Amino acid sequence: MFLSLKEIKKEKFRYGLIIGMIVLIGYLIFILTSLAMGLANQNTDAINSWNINSVALNKDANTSLTQSLITNDNAKNAKLTKNEAYIGQASVVVKKSGLTKESAQFLGLKPNQFIAQNLKLSSGHKIQKTNQVVVDEQFKNDGYQLGDKIKFNSESQNYTIVGFIKNAKLNIAPVVYGNISNWKNIKNLNGPFAASAIVSKNAKFSMKDDQVKTYSISTFISKLPGYSAQNSTFTFMIAFLMIISLIVIAVFLYILTIQKIQNYAVLRAQGIPAKTLVNATISQSVILVVSGLFIATILTGITAFAMPNAVPMSFNIPILSAVGLGLILTGLLGSLIPIKIILNVDPVSVIGG
Amino acid sequence: METLQLININKYFGTGTSRVHVLKDINFTAKKGEVNLVIGPSGSGKSTFLTIAGGLQTPTDGSVQLEGDMLKNMSSKQRDALRLNSIGFVLQSYSLVPYLTVKEQFKLVKKVKKQNNLTNLSLTQLMEKLGIEDLVNKYPGELSGGQNQRVAIARALYTKPDILLADEPTAALDSERVAEVGQIFQDLAREQNTAVIIVTHDLRLINFADNVYKIMDGQMTLENDMKLAQ
Repeated sequence: MFLSLKEIKKEKFRYGLIIGMIVLIGYLIFILTSLAMGLANQNTDAINSWNINSVALNKDANTSLTQSLITNDNAKNAKLTKNEAYIGQASVVVKKSGLTKESAQFLGLKPNQFIAQNLKLSSGHKIQKTNQVVVDEQFKNDGYQLGDKIKFNSESQNYTIVGFIKNAKLNIAPVVYGNISNWKNIKNLNGPFAASAIVSKNAKFSMKDDQVKTYSISTFISKLPGYSAQNSTFTFMIAFLMIISLIVIAVFLYILTIQKIQNYAVLRAQGIPAKTLVNATISQSVILVVSGLFIATILTGITAFAMPNAVPMSFNIPILSAVGLGLILTGLLGSLIPIKIILNVDPVSVIGG
Repeated sequence: METLQLININKYFGTGTSRVHVLKDINFTAKKGEVNLVIGPSGSGKSTFLTIAGGLQTPTDGSVQLEGDMLKNMSSKQRDALRLNSIGFVLQSYSLVPYLTVKEQFKLVKKVKKQNNLTNLSLTQLMEKLGIEDLVNKYPGELSGGQNQRVAIARALYTKPDILLADEPTAALDSERVAEVGQIFQDLAREQNTAVIIVTHDLRLINFADNVYKIMDGQMTLENDMKLAQ
């Protein structure tokens, strides 16, 4: 630690550049991770807020809420408890004169079931009657207000916004929670349909109906349109960035070590143990990476503060900490590469001819 | 008192037809309190002699004894410890760590040395003796060649070594500085009872030596007559 700190202190510009490079790598990875998580969350925010563990869908719906319909006959076979609730999904375009049209996900709920009961509103009140809706705060940001009358698609029916709710997104679209009795009209269903799905807090919920299949929440989420492909893309991007940063950091540390070989040879000749020099190299890497990540974290914090609401970013501290730890381990790995050179430094090489 | 003994040392480099006999039946003894000068042209084998004497290389044949201990019986770690505690090295160049101040050069040695008999008082006295007490906060790059060499000597002596091995210590110095450094070696050998071995081709140091050895084509001869000639 002594040698590494002293060297950084003396060679401020050189090590400043290396720290600068690590700051940029760390900042890029933090921002990409936050964007990836923000986007992933916009797929699942609403589902996550329900705290459910299983979803029952029509078995032919290919695990898609959009394609699923639960008939009244199916529903009769479901022994619903306080842990189950109906969900009626419909994709809608929300309209109000003078305001921008918004594509949204209408989710019909039964007001006496747990999802409607547990909605945590940021303003307004819960759904009490038909034709009332609670909408995601994105609408508020776009100029919609409590009490506004809105229409869906080409329907003539007006719906009143009675509440706003934070982070209510499904498939990257804002959610409009309404009464399930409205859902059938919005979806233009004439048949005897009860809902799109039955969701349950119970992981082992099942129905004695061969037309309906129950899925775990993780399976259901992974089958959301585009969700897995999008997450895989981001995961690979971040993984490749980590690998590239490993190579870049390792190359820098290798060059630095090579430049110090003469000094190390003198120190070895004087009996300074190789262990001391190895420790200096490793501790120097940790200091550089930690300093770089510290500054990257501050930059990320400033970016989070300055970023407009329209950009889907999520700053999940435990996950970003894990990414940071991964980068520190990457730096450590990079510093291990030149260690063989240090161990093999020949002190004889500095004795003149 | 005999501190360092090289007995029947032979050193070969290479194999087969390219095998070179670098040191030939070298017998050498260094006593405490004496300055030994080993002179010879480039490629004569004097650096190989120095590295074998300092435990950095092992001879092909023969043995090296330091205070009665055989170096060849020691592990690499034991030889590291020996160099740190009993042998001081003064090298021609790159002798100081460029990113440590003069004070920190000594701090590093103190941190690493396990048999910690190093005191601030002894360091202060050593610095005063070598005239570097005003340079403590300077980096090697801010020092002249002579100042650098004096700091390197002070660092080598800081651990109170039994032997001081110097490789071309005056290579970068003018005549005035050569005399200054030569005097320092002689004084320290006398006052600290250290065996000093200087490998050089600089004949200006002969006046400060008790014994002068010459290495030519791997063979060593005692050439104390050279002192008279100077």
